[in-house]
Amino acid sequence: MAKKIVSAKNLRKVYGDNEVVKGISFDVEEGEVFGILGPNGAGKTTTLEMLEAIRPIDGGKAILDGINVAEDPESVKRVIGVQPQAAAFQDKQKLTEIIEMFAAAYGERVNAMDFLKDVQLADKANSYAESLSGGQRQRLSIAVAIVHSPKVFFMDEPTTGLDPQARRNLWELVQHIQSKGVTVIITTHYMEEAELLCDRVAIMDDGKIIALDTPKQLIEDLLKKGFKKHEQVQQANLEDVFIDLTGKALRD
Amino acid sequence: MQKPRDTLTQPLSLKKKLYTVLIFTKLSTKRFFRDRLALFFGILFPLIFLFVFGSLFSKSGNSVTFNVGLINESNSSIASQFVKQSAASKILKIDSSVSTLSAAETKMVDGQLDATIVLPSNFGVTTNSKIPSGQLLVYYTENNSQAGETLVSILQSQFQSINTKYVQISTPFTAASKELNKNSLTEFDYTFSGLLGFSIVGLGIFGPVNVFPELKKQGILRRLHTTPIRVWQYFTATMASQAIIGLISIAVMFITAILVFNLKVVGNYLEIIIFLVFSIIMILGMGLAIGGWAKNERQAAPLSNIIVFPMLFLSGTFFPRYAMPIWLQHVTNYLPLTPVIDGVRLIATEGYHLTQVGPQLGLMAIWTVIIYAIAFKVFRWE
Repeated sequence: MAKKIVSAKNLRKVYGDNEVVKGISFDVEEGEVFGILGPNGAGKTTTLEMLEAIRPIDGGKAILDGINVAEDPESVKRVIGVQPQAAAFQDKQKLTEIIEMFAAAYGERVNAMDFLKDVQLADKANSYAESLSGGQRQRLSIAVAIVHSPKVFFMDEPTTGLDPQARRNLWELVQHIQSKGVTVIITTHYMEEAELLCDRVAIMDDGKIIALDTPKQLIEDLLKKGFKKHEQVQQANLEDVFIDLTGKALRD
Repeated sequence: MQKPRDTLTQPLSLKKKLYTVLIFTKLSTKRFFRDRLALFFGILFPLIFLFVFGSLFSKSGNSVTFNVGLINESNSSIASQFVKQSAASKILKIDSSVSTLSAAETKMVDGQLDATIVLPSNFGVTTNSKIPSGQLLVYYTENNSQAGETLVSILQSQFQSINTKYVQISTPFTAASKELNKNSLTEFDYTFSGLLGFSIVGLGIFGPVNVFPELKKQGILRRLHTTPIRVWQYFTATMASQAIIGLISIAVMFITAILVFNLKVVGNYLEIIIFLVFSIIMILGMGLAIGGWAKNERQAAPLSNIIVFPMLFLSGTFFPRYAMPIWLQHVTNYLPLTPVIDGVRLIATEGYHLTQVGPQLGLMAIWTVIIYAIAFKVFRWE
């Protein structure tokens, strides 16, 4: 079995009387894409924020790459990359400058163009961030999150609000990052996205993990219980039609 | 792509941490000069104030003037000569729209005129003594009795020189004037240092107070918080960038004041710059504290207004503090902006050295410690 790079034990988060994360435990293996699924308000983002060392852990323990997150947040921050839900950047700042700035936040100097090429934004290098489309901004956000070559990459709902082309492009990017040996922890509302990208998924509801396994195993477990879809499953769906008609090329 | 573990377990060196500060300073300064709105409020806005207040105060400068109505009811040549001379006078500013006493009265009651001079119909008419004579009348309202009496004595002394032409008299007591060859401060000098204070407040407080809540709303600060950057690095970069922008803005004001309003700078420019940088850093601390604390604009705006406006008015920004009652001067002495405005004036226009503005620097040092202690304590990334 691969090395455990993230280990959460009985993690808790309380806001006033409201316990939003109710003692969850899970391990993430090095190099896998680990999905956290769940409806809005399930506690996905709060869980990520505790692991990212930006939200105090109210109970339990989190170890990331051998570092206790609560005790040494600064060291944790240096080995992780974070892509927040909102991909917002300050106005009047060129893409190359944004890359330069985030690298500098880690005390590093990088060649911004290399990172922009990686996410197909080289031709926008001298544009301001506010001129980018939603998909381009998400790609920039990914480039920014990996400027310091992190070991663990957190993505919070990266494809929400993107068109099918941009989503597919982002999936490829995630797979590309995984191929470099980076562990990816991703939250999403889209089940087909989780099924395609994630090696394992944890399903959260009401602050608890209610299932944790590979997508394939979770589906098999459901079928074993005698589950049947009402309709006959077709070999294609409307999204396949859409992609067939409009092509996979990016539109931004 | 991944780095060896040992480089990551080492804490970031100070050199790397300062590199972070350097790049953040560079980029936020650049961004300021690309932002038209920021440029307007940071540089043009104080300049507009400079023109408004400059033209208000530089005219009155160090001379006394009276706004008067002049009503001439006489046909004599002496009377018309008097009117002509009065029009050329520096002391009298004649309102030519006033031609009747009742119109003049209305304007005096409104406070638009200090007094009204009336030359009666017999003024300057040669009588049987073969010498022209006459008595003019100066009308003034109760509130303007000082101006009225001063005007009367000025006119008296002017008649004195005319009188000697007609009647030989020797005057035992006279007064003569002699100009001292010394620069005294004009009202504009006070106004200018006040406007510098205003500009520093505008940049240092309203800048972060407007920007930080917006950055929090968009999650930009939260994202920075996921990197190893520390609050002190972020503050230092903001300070450095504000100092650069502030000095440029102030340089523009100095140049304008020197060229347009004849400001005479006698102080050492290096000392002025050092003092201004210190001032900018101290005042910026208030902006960092308010903007860093506030979760959104609704929290930031009222708090900054409550702090900024009383401070602006009480520290001598728009009118000199010497115009205040003594007890209020004592209280306002200790406001953070007061030593800034006093210090700039002492160094720039009175030629003091940094070593001579010890009380100002000391007070600013105390405020800086207090303000930054609060700013670091209340700062929130989101």
